[in-house]
Amino acid sequence: MFTEHTADLPSGPVRYLKDGSGPTILHLHPAAGPRVSPVVERLAQRHTVFMPTAPGFNATPMHASVKSMEDLAELMATFVQTVIGAKCDIVAESFGGWVAMWLAAKHPDLVEHLVLQGPAGLRDPGTGGVPADPEGRMRALYSKPELAPPETRSAEVLSATQRARDAYVGDVAFDAELSKALPRIKARTLVVMGTKDTVAPLVVAHRIMAGVPNAHLSFIYGAAHALEFDAPSRVGPLIAKFLERGEAFVVRTPDAA
Amino acid sequence: MKFSYFHLMPWTELEEAPAQWPASNAAFDPVRGKELYDNYINTMAFAEQCGFDWVGCNEHHFSPYGLMANCNLVGAALTQRTSTIKLAMLGNLIPLLNPVRVAEEYAMIDVMSGGRLVAGMIRGVPHEYIAYNIVPDESRERLREAAALIVKCWTEPEPFGWEGEYYQFPSISIWPKPMQRPHPPILMSASNEESAAFAGQHRAMMGMTLIADLDVAKRCIEVYRQAAHGAGLEPTPDHILLGYNTCIAETDEEAHAVMAEGQRYFHRVLMHSIRDAQRLVIQKSRFFDQQHGERHIQRLTTLKERSIGDMIEAGSIFCGSPESVVKQMRRVHAHLGNGRFNINMKIGNIPDTAVHRGMELFRDRVLPELKDL
Repeated sequence: MFTEHTADLPSGPVRYLKDGSGPTILHLHPAAGPRVSPVVERLAQRHTVFMPTAPGFNATPMHASVKSMEDLAELMATFVQTVIGAKCDIVAESFGGWVAMWLAAKHPDLVEHLVLQGPAGLRDPGTGGVPADPEGRMRALYSKPELAPPETRSAEVLSATQRARDAYVGDVAFDAELSKALPRIKARTLVVMGTKDTVAPLVVAHRIMAGVPNAHLSFIYGAAHALEFDAPSRVGPLIAKFLERGEAFVVRTPDAA
Repeated sequence: MKFSYFHLMPWTELEEAPAQWPASNAAFDPVRGKELYDNYINTMAFAEQCGFDWVGCNEHHFSPYGLMANCNLVGAALTQRTSTIKLAMLGNLIPLLNPVRVAEEYAMIDVMSGGRLVAGMIRGVPHEYIAYNIVPDESRERLREAAALIVKCWTEPEPFGWEGEYYQFPSISIWPKPMQRPHPPILMSASNEESAAFAGQHRAMMGMTLIADLDVAKRCIEVYRQAAHGAGLEPTPDHILLGYNTCIAETDEEAHAVMAEGQRYFHRVLMHSIRDAQRLVIQKSRFFDQQHGERHIQRLTTLKERSIGDMIEAGSIFCGSPESVVKQMRRVHAHLGNGRFNINMKIGNIPDTAVHRGMELFRDRVLPELKDL
């Protein structure tokens, strides 16, 4: 059962959820904000999972000194150092993947494995992104809309979350500095893409594969952008295997399907 | 009009129909088998000299109906025997196979032939699912996923993993990749409205066989066109391939007699146990929905029972003198608007000498009349 906590970091408070036991995972949420997905629940069965909320999301207070994606990555590095206290694995979704890439590039000593699901930050302007209209957004995020989590947050909280996202991202689609920094990522990296993902175009995965020295790309057939909800039965085992077996995750085990 | 020369590689030596499916292989004689493979491959290579644009291979299992359990092996042989003709694998039954292996073998044929592969991605006929023990109900979704995976194997510039419903591969990077870019042309079967829509949705060329009624065929083509349009492809006549059993001889009488004998062996011996196995799969699975299943069985029955004259009239076969066949082909083309015919001349046990003579007549007196159609 995930429980809610608050970490008082030098720049301000950071709310986070925590559950599980075992090797540590930092889970970085998408632009929709933190949600406990079936994938996260599965990971928490064999790992300790920390799910911090980026300041401003879900109406938490912004931090005056945290203004960019790079700043946010620094804040999460501080979270790892002070709350987790050791090198950890990072599992990140979309917007969170952008943060995670900066964190892994700037603090390679803090990241063991890096999992990027439909990562943001490296698409060409005018391509991809989340549609503004609700129906288009639903289609872009879920190939199976019935698997979308129910929205329980108020309009005010959702609006605050959107403002926070805009404050960090602005109108940047392609982070040129991040692109240059990719070779500094030393963590073994798994890029997970849905074959129906129109939010994070395929070129994003290719850029990461070309830039990150030790990266592996996996496609989730038929899945859209919100992978942890849209295809949990395939995404969960894939990530768990990658984190638990490292480079040997490509070797089939007797109990595998 | 463009033409494909198609071959089933039938076993021609049976006296009686196999009692059941799969057909007992006790009577298979490998020495005669070697002779047949030699004859058949020579004939298929000869198609290039007769002006055919494609030579077509296909996959069938556990039956004297066809000796091409893996048509890619024949395709590979033809890469060494031909130089310009397209090699149409019509094709691998991809729901039954390892899609990565198909991607590799197709890429090999494409590279070995200098970019001459036409890649058939075929669901197959129902009884093949018994042969390879694949759930027939899954055939459509397996085809959909396998086709996507094969294209990904051909086009992805970096190694990748695949987590699918039916196929999981942690790390793929095929060598070689195809010569044709972005990938070889794809053809899918479209012999009923359901499969026609599927082919259109995949922006593939469509192939149709066993035409029992020209108006039904026309409706399938229309469904294909609409589906392709919806997927962003405006099909040309070249996208539409129609398969025809064809017999060309000096006279109509001779052609009818040769065709009748070949058809008799085909239906009485080669198709006998296959029909039972197909009916079993159709009735006991969801390979087709009920409507399409009944139509499929009805179509096989209709084609079996018709006379040569009735089949010509229905637009189901081409048979006669070169001049008659030209007229028959013009009539079908006028009705259906196709740009390609896929013609099979080795029907049942028609002698290879008659087949070769028919190919020569096609080259000399049929193709010149139709190549600008």
